[in-house]
Amino acid sequence: MRGIGILLVGCSVAALAACTGTIGDNPGPGSDNDDADGSCVGCTESGIQIVASSRFPRLSHAQWENTIVDLFDLAAPTGLSASFASDPLGGKSFDNNEASLSVSSTLWADYQTAAEEVAMMVTGDPALLAKVVPSDLPSDPAARRDAWIEQFGKRAFRRPLSSDEITLIGGVFDQGPSFYATLDPFTAGVRTSLEYFLQSPHFVYRAQLSADVSDNQLITLTSWEIASRLSYAVWDSMPDQQLFDAAEAGALDTIEGLEAEVDRLLASDRARATFRRFHDQLWTADQYDNLTSKSETLYPDFDPAIGVDMRGELERFVEHTVVDNGGGVRELLTSRTTFVTPEIAQIYGIDPATLGPADAEGFSRVELDPAQRGGFLTLSGFLAWKGTAAQPDTILRGVFVNLKVICQELGEPPDEAMGAQLGSEATNRERVNALTGPGTCGAACHGNYINPLGYAFENFGALGEYRTTDNGVTVDASASYPFEGGAQSYANAVELSAVLAESPQVHGCFSKFWVEFGLGRTVKDDDQALIDLIAAESQAGASVKDMLRTLLTSEAIRYRLATAPEDQ
Amino acid sequence: MKRSLSPLAGRHAPSRRRFLRGLGGVAMALPFLESLGPKKPARAAEGDAPPFAIFVRQGNGVAQATFDGEPERFWPSFGPGTPLTTANLSAETDRSLSELADHASKLIFVRGCNFGFPGNGCGHSGGGNQVLTAARVSDNPSGNLSLSEGESIDNRIVRELGQTGDEPLTLYAGRKYGYLDEVLSYRGAHDLRGAEQSPYNVYMDLFGLSTVDPEELEAIRLRRQSVNDLVRSDMQSLLGRTDLSKFDRDRLQLHFDSIRDLENGIICGLSDGEVATLEQIQANVGNDDFIEDVIRLHFDVLALAMACGAVRSATLQIGSGNDGTQYMVDGVKQKSFHKISHRIDSDGDMGPPIPDADILHSKIDRKLLGLFKHLLDKLASYPMPSGSLLDCGVAVFTNDLSNKWHSYDNVPFILAGSCLGALQTGVYVDAGDIAHNKILSTIGAAVGCKNGNGDPLDDFGDSSLPTGRVDAIVTPGF
Repeated sequence: MRGIGILLVGCSVAALAACTGTIGDNPGPGSDNDDADGSCVGCTESGIQIVASSRFPRLSHAQWENTIVDLFDLAAPTGLSASFASDPLGGKSFDNNEASLSVSSTLWADYQTAAEEVAMMVTGDPALLAKVVPSDLPSDPAARRDAWIEQFGKRAFRRPLSSDEITLIGGVFDQGPSFYATLDPFTAGVRTSLEYFLQSPHFVYRAQLSADVSDNQLITLTSWEIASRLSYAVWDSMPDQQLFDAAEAGALDTIEGLEAEVDRLLASDRARATFRRFHDQLWTADQYDNLTSKSETLYPDFDPAIGVDMRGELERFVEHTVVDNGGGVRELLTSRTTFVTPEIAQIYGIDPATLGPADAEGFSRVELDPAQRGGFLTLSGFLAWKGTAAQPDTILRGVFVNLKVICQELGEPPDEAMGAQLGSEATNRERVNALTGPGTCGAACHGNYINPLGYAFENFGALGEYRTTDNGVTVDASASYPFEGGAQSYANAVELSAVLAESPQVHGCFSKFWVEFGLGRTVKDDDQALIDLIAAESQAGASVKDMLRTLLTSEAIRYRLATAPEDQ
Repeated sequence: MKRSLSPLAGRHAPSRRRFLRGLGGVAMALPFLESLGPKKPARAAEGDAPPFAIFVRQGNGVAQATFDGEPERFWPSFGPGTPLTTANLSAETDRSLSELADHASKLIFVRGCNFGFPGNGCGHSGGGNQVLTAARVSDNPSGNLSLSEGESIDNRIVRELGQTGDEPLTLYAGRKYGYLDEVLSYRGAHDLRGAEQSPYNVYMDLFGLSTVDPEELEAIRLRRQSVNDLVRSDMQSLLGRTDLSKFDRDRLQLHFDSIRDLENGIICGLSDGEVATLEQIQANVGNDDFIEDVIRLHFDVLALAMACGAVRSATLQIGSGNDGTQYMVDGVKQKSFHKISHRIDSDGDMGPPIPDADILHSKIDRKLLGLFKHLLDKLASYPMPSGSLLDCGVAVFTNDLSNKWHSYDNVPFILAGSCLGALQTGVYVDAGDIAHNKILSTIGAAVGCKNGNGDPLDDFGDSSLPTGRVDAIVTPGF
């Protein structure tokens, strides 16, 4: 169960201020970012600011796994990364955040073992070996060796190798027969070289070695580096041959060529997993797998395993809305098409006997009642996850929407507020309001920001089922929220979702998370222009695909910021 | 298109032993056996094991007396200053620390230790940031994302007493939630170390080649050295660039320092049955129902690691940053420990009360102390010239909070072991409301760390905190 401390802050003006943070101020181009000569550091022609990032973002474990599949054309992942030392994500939204990815001694040992296992596997299987050793290599042993190193190395390192590199790797290759006497000399050399390739920093990191610095402290990435940025953003894996060919031909150096490849990647079947992964991680749907227990009185048939299906429902909702129907933020917040198992159908008040054909995992497509539901916030998983044993978890629902949908930062409750117990008022809303609402110590955050969003979901019980009464009293799900553009009122979750769907704050928030995901790093203040660019398109109705396309065809993909001497 | 798993994968992480078998190791089936009990290392070092420290962290505070009337259920009823004996500790049947009575003469109870700094928006995170670092909590990030502004004591021990590139063992038992997981071990400011959930992975990383015969081992060593040399060359080329950011340079340096050649040293290992036990739990390392088994197995591997001198410090974090584990108590799977510690059925600050939550909290304290006893039993089972492995180092049971109120005052430090006589054992002391950096300095000094003057470590933690050690537990002359 998520342990998010909910949020009361102290009863002070400072606390009120602390409750109202948003994405940091944007200094704007040409302000604090000017060089001594007045040129704008990191500025691009389009107005986007290039933000400092790592030259060596390490492959995440998922990226390692996918890259191995693609590099060796495997039928399926090896699963070896499951035993890798874990990365401390520290609450970051996505597993590809460069700040969390380092190589400790434990992980280094894991990489070493995995490299040896993969090398053994590939060279021990003639079919796999044939995939990495073309049949048209020269017959002369030395030429054959160098040709193999050159062509395999280009794929493993995701760029051409230098002649020096080929020579050095050839030295390791030539020792292969002494290490693997039972293999033919060439295969022995391949095996030893594979062990090296998979441990080299040029494989483990998506190294950006380009070094020519422009007046604005910008470094133009090479085509190969751009190709890697694109493929890891969309596929979480290495470039395919077509993308490599585009890089080699210089096609990615033109906007037309870049757009063509981005469109191809986004249209690919593999991209479906990206959209699933983004939303799954952003909304922490993995928590659905471990639903807390529900009241045996109210939910005698409750089985925690339903949480796994709820996660499956969300996956299908996202795929259908974003991938199949080209939906955007509005559709994610308002669509009523979802996919249910018979058990989930009952939560929605749908007779399982009326369900249509099911997919292989037992999910059938349904249309939810427009008077009750609209968008992912009204789906079973979110509501059940943010539900106590017997009641809606009003506070946690409100916190989630603040943090994950609106990007409204919130403070934390004072320690003395811990363990506060609800009173005996008639309804859940009344109990929550009595403890944290206006006139209480929690008014600043709860009263203004958290509770109003949470109340919108009072029509949904602890398992996400719809209800019109609470303890015999008609449910009141109405509230008002102070958006940046002004307070907006709503009568229930459907109306709230519609309000959120039109909110510039929400479109900006969603765009911010896509920048974080697409660039694999924490968003900084100087990213605001880029976020605004994507948010404007989203507000105008762009699909999620188009939002990602805008990011991947922007100058943020083509440049990196040179490192300031004081940062070295 | 969904990808299915290859033959190499499965529900469990693939076994590295598969690789060893492929090298010519014995490819026999490994039957599941009960642990055969402690095994001496296959080729044990002569003399005592080098001093070490193992830090075990429980979350959510302990059920000690609170200002709102909850009674004392943790500390003994007899006061500080009373020598600890098996008899007097066993008699404390209503106090959790009685679980450790068998080892009374080796124990050191220290109360009166306080964290030096407030949290920054999340009591659990702020406590976790400080418990082994005695450093400030970051201003940014804040809340559950807050980080420590300094290294942890386990890192200091290995950095000072280990070899270049050595890292402490950083272990974790329980599920990771993605909200507040690892909290304990820091390489430096903001540099949180990831923790390993699987005792099998820990064992294989340390001792995976223990069953390979010497000739094969030498062949592996030569091959790996050849590969390592070229990888090192790649790394040095990158580190030689003048246009690296500090972030990149530090990361690359960490990687470079991690590259190790295989050493033809003394090899230790567990029995095949014990290793099979480790392997069998792989699939359930994040499952609440198996957390107690995982903890015991982590302790088994830790004890072996210390006996073999494989590492000088280690941490085991039990549960996430606010431990939501649903422990079994009295045969019943309870609500999340985090909720029990709040006394309400909510992870937040309000909710319906949990009946007898204070008693449940105490029972969980007992359970975890009982598991800590398993570690002490294991350490005591390895004979050493000075007594046992337990006498060579110190095992520490502590918490990132003191009680249900997320307080940072009177955080318990329960030690066992003397570090070869550096610490006085069988004592119960009240340190007197000190900043807890002193207890960390005391432990670091006992293991062998020095301050800048070459004297026993006494200035660990933030520089604003008073220096010194807890003299009441330091053996005169050490």
